[in-house]
Amino acid sequence: MNIEKNFLSKLKTYLIFAGPMTFAFLTVVILPFIYGIYLTFTDWNGISATHAFVGLDNYLQVFNDKVFWSSFLLTLRYVLFSVILVNVIAFFLAYLLTSGIKGQNFFRTGFFTPNLIGGILLGFIWQFIFSNILVYIGELFNLPIFSASWLTDPNKAFWALVIVTVWQYSGYMMVIYIAGFMNIPRELIEAADIDGANSYYRLKNIILPLMVPSFTICIFLTLQRTFMVYDVNLSLTNGGPYKSTELISMHVYNTAFLSQQYGIGQAEAFFLFLIVAIVTLSQVYFSQRMEVES
Amino acid sequence: MKRKKLLLIVVSLILMLSLVVGCSTTDSNSPATTNNNASTESNNTSTESTESVKITFLNSKGEIQSQLETAAEQFAKENPNITVDVIPAAAGQSPFEKISSMYASGNAPALAMLDPGDIVQFKDNFLDLSNEKWVSDTVAGALDDATIDDKVMAFPFAIEGYGLIYNKVVLDKAFGGSFDPKSIKTRNDLEDAFKKVEATGVKALEISPMDWSLGGHFLPIAYTAQSKDPAQVYAFISDLKAGKVDLANNEVFNGLMDTFDMMKKYNLDKDDPLSPTYDKGPQVIGQGQVGFWFMGNWAWPQIKEFDTANEQYGFVPVPISNDPNDYGNSEIPVGPTKLIGVDKAQNNQAQQDAAKEFLNWLVYSQSGQDALVNQCNVIPAFKNIELVPNDPLAKSIEQYISEGNTLKFITAPLPADHWSKLGASMQKYLAGVIDRKGLVNDIESYWESVQ
Repeated sequence: MNIEKNFLSKLKTYLIFAGPMTFAFLTVVILPFIYGIYLTFTDWNGISATHAFVGLDNYLQVFNDKVFWSSFLLTLRYVLFSVILVNVIAFFLAYLLTSGIKGQNFFRTGFFTPNLIGGILLGFIWQFIFSNILVYIGELFNLPIFSASWLTDPNKAFWALVIVTVWQYSGYMMVIYIAGFMNIPRELIEAADIDGANSYYRLKNIILPLMVPSFTICIFLTLQRTFMVYDVNLSLTNGGPYKSTELISMHVYNTAFLSQQYGIGQAEAFFLFLIVAIVTLSQVYFSQRMEVES
Repeated sequence: MKRKKLLLIVVSLILMLSLVVGCSTTDSNSPATTNNNASTESNNTSTESTESVKITFLNSKGEIQSQLETAAEQFAKENPNITVDVIPAAAGQSPFEKISSMYASGNAPALAMLDPGDIVQFKDNFLDLSNEKWVSDTVAGALDDATIDDKVMAFPFAIEGYGLIYNKVVLDKAFGGSFDPKSIKTRNDLEDAFKKVEATGVKALEISPMDWSLGGHFLPIAYTAQSKDPAQVYAFISDLKAGKVDLANNEVFNGLMDTFDMMKKYNLDKDDPLSPTYDKGPQVIGQGQVGFWFMGNWAWPQIKEFDTANEQYGFVPVPISNDPNDYGNSEIPVGPTKLIGVDKAQNNQAQQDAAKEFLNWLVYSQSGQDALVNQCNVIPAFKNIELVPNDPLAKSIEQYISEGNTLKFITAPLPADHWSKLGASMQKYLAGVIDRKGLVNDIESYWESVQ
């Protein structure tokens, strides 16, 4: 009896405080998610009133789709380079801008600004830079590397995507790293100074271990965002030239809405969800084990 | 103990579910919700305000968005109890994406302007328009794609055509006199014209490398020029689907691609063929930097901005052989490219009637015709409309129509992603990444993948 009463009162408290939130979460996240998984077993086209149950056909089609796999590999490559470059650049920017150079607040704002511009706009701006301004500069100074638009060569278009992503996110990650730097207890660094550690040893033995929580967050954010990137891809290259830079999100979208194969698109999206969940969760798990107390 | 706990969990789950259900029922009854449920909405509107109907119109021709908004205002002036809201779908994208999300959210537009190939997906949601008055006034062939199971499911909004647009001033100079588009009947004629244009110091032509242009317009010439008989063309497409066509040895296809190879040699952007954007085309043809541009009459508003030829432009066909008598050498593809369907699933009777009223207004009222032809620059698909859009490209198309020199502008029988996927293959071919064999491979394997 006692337990029952206890539980009911607990439930009451729960419903009062977290009820609306749970309700919203259920209706806008969990139910659509389950419904989406259900749709992967059907041949729905996105519109028609009826759909037939097709079992695992959609998944089979996805696994046999060469274009899907090449798009997936391209995405992995893109994620790898973007995550490394964004974090390395952001870390060193933060390192520089906490070392007390002149005008560091101004620089912090400057580097952060690209993140305030939406991905779509950023893509269009850089599309103009790559296909007009750089070509113009290339012609003016006779630089062969800029003589043709980067966006018409599959390989260069890929790097254009990476460059724009790095430009977009390194400022944001820099802010997180700066917060990390500021949280390092000054006395530890002073103590190391007194013990005669030079800046390399200070970085290696004190700063880096204490910065692991920042790395956890930043790598998680960049992994997740670069896996899911769509807006920059759409406005910068739109998958071109000839579909050679179609990243996985765009492929999913095109399958579902352009080819009107909603079930297959959903199956691809679910697969993408699994991959992203596995990668990011294991990353968080392993990097949290590396965290130390100061 | 354990069982009790389980019971409690079940009870609490039921409680939660009843909460969900309770909320959803109050939702549909509350007058605050919009469009969630068409029938509730109709009850509300009929009791609250007398017969004022609001309908939405999904517009997928972004370039005439503001003109359509003006037309809707004019319509509202003449029909004070109806308001039409024009919603744009992003330009260059399939309106199917937009409308499927609108249907999913229960906000389906009363009027939906779609690509012809999409109509068949909506046969359960669209109203049968077979008994409308305008059906009998439609020009021949314009309802082919709108007719599903012998029922007219959509309204042909615009007739469009494409080919090689020429700048008459450049061509007159090249030919030393007045250029006659009819003199281009074969591939050699066209190459001669290119050479003559280049002799005057400007480039011969611009190929815009957009996938929708190459895969949606250029390549389908190979399908539609197969035969004069539309049934044969459809048969050819179903043969493609069945993998029964030997494309590598198909005369029309090879002829078209030979012309494309020839065009590639004279392309303004030969060195970096994939770099130009759509915006470059109107600029170079309008300013007379090239003599020809492969595009359709929808490009006129943009060409007009750069016009230096005193509005003298027209079309020549894309020749597919060196025999002037071959079908396709003096014809350009023309057909309805945008169809408007009326939704019956999520719009109530009053809204459906208002939608039909709007379509009739476009065809039969003077101000509607004016909006359609003079403001939107659309070539109407109706015999009773005598107005002709005041632009040289539309006039050129009207001439091809009146002389009967048209190919079928093939859209509906092609799968929805044809332009995108084979457009990418055409881009590869244009850039020289694949050869003819690779292109044939791409096309054949694409059609194999179509279900």
